[in-house]
Amino acid sequence: MTPVAAGIAGSFLLLILLFLGMPIAFVMMFVGFLGISYLASVHAALPVVAKTVYATAAYYPYTIIPLFVLMGAFAGGAGITAKLYGSFDRWFRKLPGGLGIATIAACAFFAALSGSSVAAAAAMGTIAVPEMKRFKYDPALAVGVVAAGGTLSFLIPPSLGFVVYGMLTEQSIGKLLVSGILPGLLLALAFVAVIVVKVKLNPVLAPATPGGVAWKEKFRALGGVWETLLVFLIVMGGIYLGFVNPTEAGAIGTTALFVIVISKLKLTWKSLSAALLEATRISVLVLFLVAGANVFSYFLALSTIPASVSTWMAGLKISPYAVLAILVFIYVLLGCFLDAISMMVLTMPVIFPVIKTLGFDPIWFGVVCVIMMEAGLITPPVGLNVYTLAGVVKEVPMETIFRGSIPFLFAMIGVVILVTVFPGIALYLPSMMGR
Amino acid sequence: MGWGEVKRGIRRINYLVCAIGMATIIPLMLLTFADVMLRGFFNKPIPGTFELSQYILAVFILLGAAYTQQVKGHVGVNFITSRLSPHSRAICEIVTTLLSLFIIAILVWQGWVEGITEKTVSDQLRIPQYPFRMLVAVGGFLLWLELLIDLFGAFGKLRRNES
Repeated sequence: MTPVAAGIAGSFLLLILLFLGMPIAFVMMFVGFLGISYLASVHAALPVVAKTVYATAAYYPYTIIPLFVLMGAFAGGAGITAKLYGSFDRWFRKLPGGLGIATIAACAFFAALSGSSVAAAAAMGTIAVPEMKRFKYDPALAVGVVAAGGTLSFLIPPSLGFVVYGMLTEQSIGKLLVSGILPGLLLALAFVAVIVVKVKLNPVLAPATPGGVAWKEKFRALGGVWETLLVFLIVMGGIYLGFVNPTEAGAIGTTALFVIVISKLKLTWKSLSAALLEATRISVLVLFLVAGANVFSYFLALSTIPASVSTWMAGLKISPYAVLAILVFIYVLLGCFLDAISMMVLTMPVIFPVIKTLGFDPIWFGVVCVIMMEAGLITPPVGLNVYTLAGVVKEVPMETIFRGSIPFLFAMIGVVILVTVFPGIALYLPSMMGR
Repeated sequence: MGWGEVKRGIRRINYLVCAIGMATIIPLMLLTFADVMLRGFFNKPIPGTFELSQYILAVFILLGAAYTQQVKGHVGVNFITSRLSPHSRAICEIVTTLLSLFIIAILVWQGWVEGITEKTVSDQLRIPQYPFRMLVAVGGFLLWLELLIDLFGAFGKLRRNES
Protein backbone atom coordinates (compact mmCIF):
# COMPACT_ATOMS: atom_id res chain seq x y z
CA MET A 1 0.00 0.00 0.00
CA THR A 2 1.13 3.53 -0.69
CA PRO A 3 1.03 5.87 2.31
CA VAL A 4 -2.08 7.57 0.92
CA ALA A 5 -3.88 4.22 0.47
CA ALA A 6 -2.90 3.27 4.05
CA GLY A 7 -4.28 6.60 5.25
CA ILE A 8 -7.58 6.00 3.47
CA ALA A 9 -7.79 2.43 4.81
CA GLY A 10 -7.10 3.74 8.31
CA SER A 11 -9.80 6.37 7.98
CA PHE A 12 -12.31 3.72 6.91
CA LEU A 13 -11.36 1.50 9.84
CA LEU A 14 -11.83 4.54 12.08
CA LEU A 15 -15.34 5.11 10.74
CA ILE A 16 -16.33 1.44 11.12
CA LEU A 17 -15.13 1.23 14.72
CA LEU A 18 -16.78 4.57 15.43
CA PHE A 19 -20.15 3.28 14.29
CA LEU A 20 -19.67 0.05 16.24
CA GLY A 21 -19.74 2.28 19.30
CA MET A 22 -16.09 2.25 20.40
CA PRO A 23 -15.22 5.35 22.48
CA ILE A 24 -13.87 7.92 20.02
CA ALA A 25 -10.69 8.68 21.95
CA PHE A 26 -9.70 4.99 22.02
CA VAL A 27 -10.58 4.51 18.33
CA MET A 28 -8.25 7.30 17.31
CA MET A 29 -5.43 5.96 19.52
CA PHE A 30 -5.96 2.41 18.21
CA VAL A 31 -6.12 3.26 14.50
CA GLY A 32 -3.31 5.78 14.90
CA PHE A 33 -1.16 3.10 16.55
CA LEU A 34 -1.85 0.57 13.76
CA GLY A 35 -1.18 3.19 11.09
CA ILE A 36 2.11 4.37 12.58
CA SER A 37 3.19 0.73 13.01
CA TYR A 38 2.51 0.13 9.32
CA LEU A 39 3.95 3.35 7.89
CA ALA A 40 6.94 3.69 10.23
CA SER A 41 7.58 0.70 12.49
CA VAL A 42 6.05 -1.02 15.52
CA HIS A 43 9.06 0.12 17.48
CA ALA A 44 8.28 3.75 16.62
CA ALA A 45 4.56 3.33 17.26
CA LEU A 46 4.71 1.72 20.72
CA PRO A 47 5.67 4.76 22.82
CA VAL A 48 3.51 7.26 20.90
CA VAL A 49 0.27 6.75 22.83
CA ALA A 50 1.85 6.93 26.31
CA LYS A 51 3.99 9.94 25.33
CA THR A 52 1.01 11.79 23.84
CA VAL A 53 -1.25 11.11 26.82
CA TYR A 54 1.34 12.49 29.25
CA ALA A 55 2.17 15.47 27.03
CA THR A 56 -1.54 16.33 26.77
CA ALA A 57 -2.32 15.79 30.45
CA ALA A 58 0.62 17.91 31.62
CA TYR A 59 0.33 20.85 29.21
CA TYR A 60 -0.15 24.17 30.99
CA PRO A 61 -2.70 25.84 28.64
CA TYR A 62 -5.11 22.92 29.13
CA THR A 63 -5.57 23.74 32.83
CA ILE A 64 -8.15 26.20 31.52
CA ILE A 65 -10.61 23.36 30.77
CA PRO A 66 -11.47 22.26 34.32
CA LEU A 67 -11.49 25.93 35.37
CA PHE A 68 -14.04 26.89 32.70
CA VAL A 69 -16.27 23.95 33.65
CA LEU A 70 -16.06 24.91 37.33
CA MET A 71 -17.00 28.52 36.51
CA GLY A 72 -20.28 27.33 35.01
CA ALA A 73 -20.94 24.91 37.87
CA PHE A 74 -20.31 27.56 40.56
CA ALA A 75 -22.41 30.13 38.68
CA GLY A 76 -25.29 27.65 38.50
CA GLY A 77 -24.80 26.71 42.16
CA ALA A 78 -24.95 30.37 43.23
CA GLY A 79 -28.40 30.67 41.67
CA ILE A 80 -27.14 33.20 39.12
CA THR A 81 -29.20 31.62 36.31
CA ALA A 82 -32.49 32.15 38.13
CA LYS A 83 -31.54 35.72 39.00
CA LEU A 84 -30.61 36.53 35.40
CA TYR A 85 -33.90 35.15 34.16
CA GLY A 86 -35.81 37.13 36.77
CA SER A 87 -34.10 40.38 35.76
CA PHE A 88 -34.60 39.97 32.04
CA ASP A 89 -38.20 38.88 32.50
CA ARG A 90 -38.96 42.29 34.06
CA TRP A 91 -37.37 44.11 31.13
CA PHE A 92 -38.70 42.10 28.21
CA ARG A 93 -42.07 40.72 29.28
CA LYS A 94 -44.03 43.31 27.26
CA LEU A 95 -42.34 42.38 23.96
CA PRO A 96 -43.84 39.71 21.69
CA GLY A 97 -42.63 36.36 23.01
CA GLY A 98 -41.15 38.26 25.96
CA LEU A 99 -40.48 35.24 28.16
CA GLY A 100 -38.60 33.61 25.26
CA ILE A 101 -36.52 36.77 24.79
CA ALA A 102 -35.78 36.86 28.51
CA THR A 103 -34.64 33.23 28.26
CA ILE A 104 -32.26 33.99 25.40
CA ALA A 105 -30.86 37.01 27.24
CA ALA A 106 -30.37 34.99 30.42
CA CYS A 107 -28.68 32.20 28.41
CA ALA A 108 -26.37 34.74 26.75
CA PHE A 109 -25.36 36.21 30.10
CA PHE A 110 -24.95 32.77 31.66
CA ALA A 111 -22.79 31.89 28.65
CA ALA A 112 -20.50 34.72 29.73
CA LEU A 113 -19.71 32.69 32.85
CA SER A 114 -19.90 29.15 31.58
CA GLY A 115 -17.90 27.15 29.10
CA SER A 116 -20.26 24.27 28.45
CA SER A 117 -23.73 24.43 26.98
CA VAL A 118 -25.33 21.55 28.84
CA ALA A 119 -25.24 23.43 32.15
CA ALA A 120 -27.20 26.30 30.62
CA ALA A 121 -29.81 24.07 28.98
CA ALA A 122 -30.35 22.11 32.18
CA ALA A 123 -30.61 25.20 34.39
CA MET A 124 -32.91 27.16 32.08
CA GLY A 125 -35.01 24.06 31.49
CA THR A 126 -35.99 24.02 35.15
CA ILE A 127 -36.52 27.79 35.41
CA ALA A 128 -37.82 29.16 32.10
CA VAL A 129 -39.85 26.27 30.71
CA PRO A 130 -42.31 26.11 33.66
CA GLU A 131 -42.77 29.91 33.42
CA MET A 132 -43.52 29.78 29.69
CA LYS A 133 -45.92 26.92 30.31
CA ARG A 134 -47.68 28.92 33.00
CA PHE A 135 -48.35 31.69 30.48
CA LYS A 136 -49.60 29.20 27.86
CA TYR A 137 -46.67 29.40 25.44
CA ASP A 138 -46.57 26.84 22.66
CA PRO A 139 -44.51 23.90 24.08
CA ALA A 140 -42.38 23.55 20.94
CA LEU A 141 -41.44 27.24 21.06
CA ALA A 142 -40.71 27.12 24.79
CA VAL A 143 -38.34 24.15 24.67
CA GLY A 144 -36.81 25.23 21.33
CA VAL A 145 -35.81 28.56 22.86
CA VAL A 146 -34.08 26.87 25.78
CA ALA A 147 -32.30 24.23 23.65
CA ALA A 148 -31.01 26.89 21.24
CA GLY A 149 -30.23 29.46 23.93
CA GLY A 150 -28.12 26.89 25.76
CA THR A 151 -25.81 26.57 22.76
CA LEU A 152 -24.72 30.20 23.21
CA SER A 153 -22.33 29.00 25.95
CA PHE A 154 -20.32 27.36 23.22
CA LEU A 155 -19.72 30.63 21.37
CA ILE A 156 -19.73 33.37 24.01
CA PRO A 157 -16.50 33.17 26.02
CA PRO A 158 -15.47 31.44 28.20
CA SER A 159 -16.01 28.64 25.72
CA LEU A 160 -14.65 25.10 25.60
CA GLY A 161 -15.22 25.04 21.83
CA PHE A 162 -12.59 27.73 21.22
CA VAL A 163 -10.16 26.13 23.67
CA VAL A 164 -10.30 22.82 21.82
CA TYR A 165 -10.10 24.52 18.42
CA GLY A 166 -7.09 26.47 19.63
CA MET A 167 -5.42 23.29 20.92
CA LEU A 168 -5.92 21.39 17.68
CA THR A 169 -4.86 24.20 15.35
CA GLU A 170 -2.23 25.90 17.53
CA GLN A 171 -3.97 29.26 17.41
CA SER A 172 -3.98 31.76 20.29
CA ILE A 173 -6.74 30.71 22.69
CA GLY A 174 -7.00 34.27 23.99
CA LYS A 175 -7.64 35.69 20.52
CA LEU A 176 -10.17 32.97 19.76
CA LEU A 177 -12.09 33.65 22.97
CA VAL A 178 -12.21 37.37 22.25
CA SER A 179 -13.29 36.71 18.65
CA GLY A 180 -16.41 34.92 19.93
CA ILE A 181 -17.87 37.96 21.73
CA LEU A 182 -19.47 39.89 18.84
CA PRO A 183 -20.69 36.82 16.88
CA GLY A 184 -22.13 35.52 20.15
CA LEU A 185 -24.10 38.73 20.68
CA LEU A 186 -25.19 38.67 17.04
CA LEU A 187 -26.39 35.08 17.37
CA ALA A 188 -28.33 35.96 20.53
CA LEU A 189 -29.98 38.84 18.61
CA ALA A 190 -30.75 36.47 15.71
CA PHE A 191 -32.45 34.08 18.17
CA VAL A 192 -34.49 37.00 19.53
CA ALA A 193 -35.44 37.94 15.95
CA VAL A 194 -36.61 34.37 15.31
CA ILE A 195 -38.87 34.54 18.37
CA VAL A 196 -40.30 37.97 17.49
CA VAL A 197 -41.00 36.99 13.86
CA LYS A 198 -42.59 33.69 14.86
CA VAL A 199 -44.84 35.33 17.44
CA LYS A 200 -45.78 38.22 15.12
CA LEU A 201 -46.79 35.72 12.42
CA ASN A 202 -48.70 33.53 14.83
CA PRO A 203 -49.61 35.34 18.08
CA VAL A 204 -51.22 32.17 19.50
CA LEU A 205 -47.72 30.75 20.07
CA ALA A 206 -47.00 33.19 22.86
CA PRO A 207 -49.88 35.02 24.57
CA ALA A 208 -48.85 38.40 26.00
CA THR A 209 -47.82 38.23 29.65
CA PRO A 210 -50.28 40.23 31.79
CA GLY A 211 -49.15 42.78 34.33
CA GLY A 212 -46.84 45.74 33.72
CA VAL A 213 -43.57 46.35 35.48
CA ALA A 214 -42.83 49.76 36.97
CA TRP A 215 -39.57 51.43 35.92
CA LYS A 216 -38.42 51.48 39.49
CA GLU A 217 -38.72 47.71 39.64
CA LYS A 218 -36.99 47.35 36.29
CA PHE A 219 -33.95 49.21 37.54
CA ARG A 220 -33.94 47.29 40.77
CA ALA A 221 -33.95 44.08 38.70
CA LEU A 222 -30.63 45.09 37.14
CA GLY A 223 -29.11 44.08 40.47
CA GLY A 224 -29.35 40.47 39.30
CA VAL A 225 -26.98 41.16 36.44
CA TRP A 226 -24.03 42.99 37.98
CA GLU A 227 -22.20 39.93 39.37
CA THR A 228 -22.21 38.29 35.96
CA LEU A 229 -21.04 41.43 34.18
CA LEU A 230 -18.32 42.06 36.74
CA VAL A 231 -16.86 38.54 36.52
CA PHE A 232 -17.09 38.59 32.71
CA LEU A 233 -15.37 41.98 32.48
CA ILE A 234 -12.56 40.90 34.81
CA VAL A 235 -11.98 37.62 32.95
CA MET A 236 -12.28 38.82 29.37
CA GLY A 237 -10.88 42.28 30.12
CA GLY A 238 -7.79 40.68 31.62
CA ILE A 239 -7.28 38.57 28.50
CA TYR A 240 -8.09 41.44 26.15
CA LEU A 241 -5.68 43.89 27.70
CA GLY A 242 -2.98 41.24 27.95
CA PHE A 243 -2.66 41.43 31.75
CA VAL A 244 -3.23 37.69 32.17
CA ASN A 245 -3.18 34.61 29.98
CA PRO A 246 -6.47 32.75 29.44
CA THR A 247 -5.64 30.13 32.10
CA GLU A 248 -4.96 32.81 34.70
CA ALA A 249 -8.16 34.57 33.71
CA GLY A 250 -10.01 31.27 34.17
CA ALA A 251 -8.50 30.88 37.64
CA ILE A 252 -9.53 34.43 38.60
CA GLY A 253 -13.07 33.90 37.32
CA THR A 254 -13.39 30.56 39.10
CA THR A 255 -12.04 31.99 42.36
CA ALA A 256 -14.44 34.95 42.12
CA LEU A 257 -17.44 32.68 41.58
CA PHE A 258 -16.19 30.35 44.31
CA VAL A 259 -16.19 33.29 46.73
CA ILE A 260 -19.67 34.33 45.53
CA VAL A 261 -21.05 30.81 46.11
CA ILE A 262 -19.48 30.64 49.58
CA SER A 263 -20.67 34.13 50.54
CA LYS A 264 -24.23 33.16 49.63
CA LEU A 265 -23.88 30.08 51.85
CA LYS A 266 -24.86 27.96 48.87
CA LEU A 267 -21.81 25.72 48.86
CA THR A 268 -22.49 22.25 50.25
CA TRP A 269 -20.23 19.23 50.15
CA LYS A 270 -22.68 17.66 47.76
CA SER A 271 -22.71 20.55 45.29
CA LEU A 272 -18.93 21.00 45.49
CA SER A 273 -18.23 17.33 44.79
CA ALA A 274 -20.81 17.31 41.98
CA ALA A 275 -19.09 20.34 40.43
CA LEU A 276 -15.65 18.73 40.76
CA LEU A 277 -16.84 15.41 39.32
CA GLU A 278 -18.37 17.27 36.38
CA ALA A 279 -15.10 19.15 35.84
CA THR A 280 -13.15 15.88 35.97
CA ARG A 281 -15.45 14.05 33.59
CA ILE A 282 -15.44 16.79 30.96
CA SER A 283 -11.71 17.52 31.24
CA VAL A 284 -10.73 13.85 30.98
CA LEU A 285 -13.12 13.36 28.07
CA VAL A 286 -11.74 16.38 26.19
CA LEU A 287 -8.07 15.72 26.88
CA PHE A 288 -8.30 12.03 25.95
CA LEU A 289 -10.03 13.09 22.73
CA VAL A 290 -7.26 15.59 22.05
CA ALA A 291 -4.58 12.99 22.85
CA GLY A 292 -6.33 10.53 20.52
CA ALA A 293 -6.53 13.19 17.82
CA ASN A 294 -2.81 13.90 18.17
CA VAL A 295 -1.94 10.21 17.76
CA PHE A 296 -4.24 9.94 14.79
CA SER A 297 -2.88 13.16 13.24
CA TYR A 298 0.63 11.77 13.50
CA PHE A 299 -0.50 8.77 11.45
CA LEU A 300 -2.34 11.00 8.94
CA ALA A 301 0.74 13.19 8.56
CA LEU A 302 2.81 10.08 7.76
CA SER A 303 0.18 9.08 5.19
CA THR A 304 0.53 12.56 3.57
CA ILE A 305 -3.27 12.77 3.27
CA PRO A 306 -3.71 16.29 4.71
CA ALA A 307 -1.10 17.69 2.31
CA SER A 308 -2.56 15.79 -0.68
CA VAL A 309 -6.10 16.91 0.08
CA SER A 310 -4.96 20.53 0.43
CA THR A 311 -3.02 20.44 -2.84
CA TRP A 312 -5.95 18.82 -4.58
CA MET A 313 -8.38 21.39 -3.18
CA ALA A 314 -6.11 24.26 -4.16
CA GLY A 315 -5.79 22.78 -7.68
CA LEU A 316 -9.55 22.68 -8.14
CA LYS A 317 -10.61 25.79 -9.96
CA ILE A 318 -13.55 26.51 -7.70
CA SER A 319 -14.16 29.41 -5.38
CA PRO A 320 -12.89 28.95 -1.80
CA TYR A 321 -16.36 30.00 -0.71
CA ALA A 322 -17.88 27.01 -2.51
CA VAL A 323 -15.50 24.78 -0.52
CA LEU A 324 -16.53 26.60 2.63
CA ALA A 325 -20.22 26.03 1.85
CA ILE A 326 -19.51 22.31 1.37
CA LEU A 327 -17.63 22.19 4.69
CA VAL A 328 -20.52 23.89 6.49
CA PHE A 329 -22.89 21.37 4.95
CA ILE A 330 -20.64 18.48 6.06
CA TYR A 331 -20.59 19.91 9.59
CA VAL A 332 -24.39 20.07 9.67
CA LEU A 333 -24.51 16.40 8.63
CA LEU A 334 -21.82 15.30 11.10
CA GLY A 335 -23.52 17.29 13.83
CA CYS A 336 -26.53 15.03 13.43
CA PHE A 337 -24.75 12.11 15.04
CA LEU A 338 -21.53 13.35 16.66
CA ASP A 339 -21.11 15.52 19.72
CA ALA A 340 -19.43 18.89 19.29
CA ILE A 341 -15.94 18.24 20.64
CA SER A 342 -15.62 14.84 18.91
CA MET A 343 -16.67 16.41 15.64
CA MET A 344 -13.96 19.03 15.87
CA VAL A 345 -11.33 16.55 16.95
CA LEU A 346 -12.14 14.13 14.12
CA THR A 347 -12.27 16.67 11.28
CA MET A 348 -9.63 19.26 12.14
CA PRO A 349 -6.52 17.23 11.14
CA VAL A 350 -7.70 17.23 7.52
CA ILE A 351 -9.90 20.32 7.30
CA PHE A 352 -7.59 22.84 8.96
CA PRO A 353 -4.75 22.48 6.39
CA VAL A 354 -7.35 22.92 3.63
CA ILE A 355 -8.66 26.10 5.24
CA LYS A 356 -5.14 27.49 5.52
CA THR A 357 -4.33 26.59 1.90
CA LEU A 358 -7.50 28.33 0.72
CA GLY A 359 -6.30 31.48 2.48
CA PHE A 360 -9.03 31.79 5.13
CA ASP A 361 -8.14 33.40 8.45
CA PRO A 362 -7.68 30.67 11.11
CA ILE A 363 -9.30 32.74 13.88
CA TRP A 364 -12.27 33.56 11.67
CA PHE A 365 -12.69 29.90 10.74
CA GLY A 366 -12.64 29.08 14.45
CA VAL A 367 -15.77 31.20 14.86
CA VAL A 368 -17.52 29.54 11.90
CA CYS A 369 -16.50 26.14 13.18
CA VAL A 370 -17.75 26.78 16.72
CA ILE A 371 -21.12 28.01 15.40
CA MET A 372 -21.42 24.80 13.37
CA MET A 373 -20.56 22.76 16.48
CA GLU A 374 -23.39 24.58 18.26
CA ALA A 375 -25.77 23.58 15.48
CA GLY A 376 -24.78 19.97 16.11
CA LEU A 377 -26.04 20.29 19.68
CA ILE A 378 -29.65 20.69 18.53
CA THR A 379 -29.89 18.65 15.30
CA PRO A 380 -31.70 15.26 15.33
CA PRO A 381 -31.26 12.37 15.92
CA VAL A 382 -28.40 13.10 18.35
CA GLY A 383 -28.34 16.53 19.97
CA LEU A 384 -26.73 16.82 23.38
CA ASN A 385 -28.70 19.90 24.44
CA VAL A 386 -31.97 18.31 23.39
CA TYR A 387 -31.14 15.15 25.36
CA THR A 388 -30.28 17.22 28.42
CA LEU A 389 -33.47 19.22 28.13
CA ALA A 390 -35.57 16.09 27.62
CA GLY A 391 -34.08 14.80 30.88
CA VAL A 392 -35.13 17.95 32.74
CA VAL A 393 -38.50 18.70 31.10
CA LYS A 394 -40.06 15.25 31.25
CA GLU A 395 -43.54 16.10 29.93
CA VAL A 396 -42.36 17.31 26.49
CA PRO A 397 -41.41 14.58 23.97
CA MET A 398 -37.96 14.74 22.38
CA GLU A 399 -39.41 15.20 18.86
CA THR A 400 -41.11 18.42 19.99
CA ILE A 401 -37.81 19.79 21.25
CA PHE A 402 -36.07 18.98 17.96
CA ARG A 403 -38.97 20.52 16.02
CA GLY A 404 -38.89 23.63 18.19
CA SER A 405 -35.13 24.08 17.65
CA ILE A 406 -35.21 24.03 13.83
CA PRO A 407 -35.93 27.75 13.30
CA PHE A 408 -32.92 28.56 15.48
CA LEU A 409 -30.75 26.35 13.29
CA PHE A 410 -31.52 28.70 10.40
CA ALA A 411 -30.52 31.63 12.60
CA MET A 412 -27.13 29.93 13.11
CA ILE A 413 -26.64 29.44 9.38
CA GLY A 414 -27.66 33.07 8.88
CA VAL A 415 -24.99 34.23 11.34
CA VAL A 416 -22.36 32.05 9.61
CA ILE A 417 -23.23 33.78 6.32
CA LEU A 418 -23.06 37.23 7.96
CA VAL A 419 -19.69 36.46 9.56
CA THR A 420 -18.43 35.24 6.17
CA VAL A 421 -19.59 38.37 4.34
CA PHE A 422 -18.35 40.67 7.12
CA PRO A 423 -15.35 38.88 8.69
CA GLY A 424 -14.78 41.97 10.83
CA ILE A 425 -17.57 40.78 13.15
CA ALA A 426 -15.21 38.04 14.29
CA LEU A 427 -11.84 39.68 13.69
CA TYR A 428 -12.24 43.30 14.78
CA LEU A 429 -11.96 42.72 18.54
CA PRO A 430 -8.99 40.30 18.42
CA SER A 431 -7.15 42.65 16.05
CA MET A 432 -7.22 45.33 18.75
CA MET A 433 -5.89 43.12 21.52
CA GLY A 434 -3.10 44.21 23.84
CA ARG A 435 -0.86 41.23 23.14
CA MET B 1 -14.81 -13.54 47.20
CA GLY B 2 -17.11 -13.43 44.17
CA TRP B 3 -16.78 -11.39 40.98
CA GLY B 4 -19.52 -9.02 42.18
CA GLU B 5 -17.42 -8.01 45.16
CA VAL B 6 -14.25 -7.62 43.09
CA LYS B 7 -16.18 -5.41 40.67
CA ARG B 8 -17.58 -3.26 43.46
CA GLY B 9 -14.08 -3.05 44.95
CA ILE B 10 -12.51 -1.85 41.70
CA ARG B 11 -15.25 0.73 41.18
CA ARG B 12 -14.87 1.97 44.75
CA ILE B 13 -11.09 2.32 44.34
CA ASN B 14 -11.49 4.16 41.04
CA TYR B 15 -13.98 6.55 42.60
CA LEU B 16 -11.66 7.25 45.53
CA VAL B 17 -8.66 7.74 43.24
CA CYS B 18 -10.71 10.17 41.15
CA ALA B 19 -11.76 12.02 44.33
CA ILE B 20 -8.09 12.47 45.26
CA GLY B 21 -7.32 13.76 41.77
CA MET B 22 -10.25 16.12 41.54
CA ALA B 23 -9.52 17.68 44.93
CA THR B 24 -6.28 19.06 43.47
CA ILE B 25 -8.15 21.46 41.19
CA ILE B 26 -9.09 23.83 44.05
CA PRO B 27 -5.42 24.33 45.08
CA LEU B 28 -4.58 24.79 41.39
CA MET B 29 -7.22 27.52 41.12
CA LEU B 30 -6.06 29.27 44.31
CA LEU B 31 -2.38 28.96 43.39
CA THR B 32 -2.88 30.58 39.99
CA PHE B 33 -5.10 33.28 41.51
CA ALA B 34 -2.55 34.04 44.22
CA ASP B 35 0.26 34.11 41.65
CA VAL B 36 -1.57 36.69 39.51
CA MET B 37 -2.46 38.85 42.52
CA LEU B 38 1.06 38.81 43.99
CA ARG B 39 2.54 39.53 40.58
CA GLY B 40 0.07 42.32 39.82
CA PHE B 41 0.13 44.16 43.14
CA PHE B 42 3.53 43.38 44.65
CA ASN B 43 5.51 42.29 41.60
CA LYS B 44 6.33 39.05 43.45
CA PRO B 45 5.03 36.05 41.49
CA ILE B 46 5.04 32.62 43.19
CA PRO B 47 8.04 30.74 41.81
CA GLY B 48 7.21 27.55 39.93
CA THR B 49 3.49 28.23 39.47
CA PHE B 50 3.72 27.20 35.85
CA GLU B 51 5.37 23.81 36.43
CA LEU B 52 3.26 23.07 39.53
CA SER B 53 0.14 23.71 37.43
CA GLN B 54 1.33 21.22 34.85
CA TYR B 55 1.98 18.55 37.46
CA ILE B 56 -1.37 19.17 39.14
CA LEU B 57 -3.19 18.92 35.79
CA ALA B 58 -1.44 15.60 35.11
CA VAL B 59 -2.58 14.24 38.50
CA PHE B 60 -6.11 15.52 37.95
CA ILE B 61 -6.51 14.06 34.45
CA LEU B 62 -4.69 10.74 34.86
CA LEU B 63 -6.39 9.85 38.15
CA GLY B 64 -9.78 10.74 36.68
CA ALA B 65 -9.47 8.62 33.53
CA ALA B 66 -10.85 5.40 35.06
CA TYR B 67 -13.78 7.09 36.79
CA THR B 68 -14.70 8.81 33.53
CA GLN B 69 -14.97 5.38 31.92
CA GLN B 70 -17.05 4.20 34.91
CA VAL B 71 -19.70 6.84 34.19
CA LYS B 72 -19.35 6.19 30.41
CA GLY B 73 -17.84 9.64 30.01
CA HIS B 74 -15.55 8.66 27.10
CA VAL B 75 -18.09 9.39 24.37
CA GLY B 76 -18.87 7.09 21.48
CA VAL B 77 -21.45 6.94 18.72
CA ASN B 78 -24.42 4.76 19.69
CA PHE B 79 -26.58 5.98 16.84
CA ILE B 80 -26.34 2.67 14.96
CA THR B 81 -25.73 0.17 17.76
CA SER B 82 -28.86 1.36 19.60
CA ARG B 83 -30.90 0.12 16.63
CA LEU B 84 -29.39 -3.39 16.67
CA SER B 85 -30.78 -6.43 18.46
CA PRO B 86 -29.48 -6.89 22.03
CA HIS B 87 -27.46 -9.88 20.81
CA SER B 88 -25.62 -7.98 18.04
CA ARG B 89 -25.18 -5.00 20.33
CA ALA B 90 -23.45 -7.21 22.92
CA ILE B 91 -21.14 -8.58 20.21
CA CYS B 92 -20.23 -5.04 19.04
CA GLU B 93 -19.53 -4.13 22.65
CA ILE B 94 -17.25 -7.15 23.13
CA VAL B 95 -15.25 -6.42 19.97
CA THR B 96 -14.78 -2.71 20.66
CA THR B 97 -13.99 -3.26 24.34
CA LEU B 98 -11.33 -5.83 23.42
CA LEU B 99 -9.71 -3.30 21.06
CA SER B 100 -9.87 -0.63 23.77
CA LEU B 101 -8.26 -3.05 26.24
CA PHE B 102 -5.49 -3.69 23.70
CA ILE B 103 -4.59 -0.04 23.14
CA ILE B 104 -4.84 0.86 26.85
CA ALA B 105 -2.60 -2.12 27.67
CA ILE B 106 0.02 -0.60 25.38
CA LEU B 107 -0.50 2.75 27.10
CA VAL B 108 0.12 1.12 30.52
CA TRP B 109 3.16 -0.85 29.41
CA GLN B 110 4.82 2.05 27.61
CA GLY B 111 3.79 4.51 30.32
CA TRP B 112 5.66 2.32 32.80
CA VAL B 113 8.75 2.06 30.56
CA GLU B 114 8.74 5.84 30.04
CA GLY B 115 8.23 6.44 33.76
CA ILE B 116 11.13 4.33 35.05
CA THR B 117 13.58 5.81 32.55
CA GLU B 118 12.55 9.46 33.04
CA LYS B 119 15.33 11.54 34.67
CA THR B 120 14.09 15.08 33.99
CA VAL B 121 13.44 17.52 36.83
CA SER B 122 11.36 20.69 36.57
CA ASP B 123 13.18 23.94 35.73
CA GLN B 124 12.61 26.05 38.85
CA LEU B 125 11.68 23.81 41.75
CA ARG B 126 13.72 20.79 40.61
CA ILE B 127 10.77 18.41 41.15
CA PRO B 128 11.46 15.09 39.39
CA GLN B 129 9.09 14.27 36.56
CA TYR B 130 9.06 10.47 36.86
CA PRO B 131 6.37 10.10 39.57
CA PHE B 132 3.97 12.04 37.36
CA ARG B 133 4.95 10.07 34.26
CA MET B 134 4.30 6.92 36.29
CA LEU B 135 0.72 8.08 36.75
CA VAL B 136 0.16 7.32 33.04
CA ALA B 137 0.71 3.65 33.91
CA VAL B 138 -1.25 3.85 37.18
CA GLY B 139 -4.24 5.73 35.74
CA GLY B 140 -4.07 3.65 32.58
CA PHE B 141 -4.13 0.41 34.58
CA LEU B 142 -7.21 1.51 36.56
CA LEU B 143 -8.86 2.48 33.26
CA TRP B 144 -7.94 -0.97 31.91
CA LEU B 145 -9.64 -2.63 34.92
CA GLU B 146 -12.73 -0.53 34.32
CA LEU B 147 -12.79 -1.68 30.68
CA LEU B 148 -12.37 -5.27 31.88
CA ILE B 149 -15.53 -4.87 33.97
CA ASP B 150 -17.29 -3.62 30.84
CA LEU B 151 -16.04 -6.66 28.91
CA PHE B 152 -17.42 -9.10 31.48
CA GLY B 153 -20.63 -7.11 31.53
CA ALA B 154 -20.96 -7.47 27.75
CA PHE B 155 -20.35 -11.24 27.97
CA GLY B 156 -23.01 -11.38 30.67
CA LYS B 157 -25.51 -9.63 28.40
CA LEU B 158 -24.70 -12.09 25.60
CA ARG B 159 -25.30 -15.09 27.88
CA ARG B 160 -28.55 -13.70 29.22
CA ASN B 161 -29.81 -13.22 25.65
CA GLU B 162 -28.94 -16.78 24.66
CA SER B 163 -30.51 -18.46 27.68
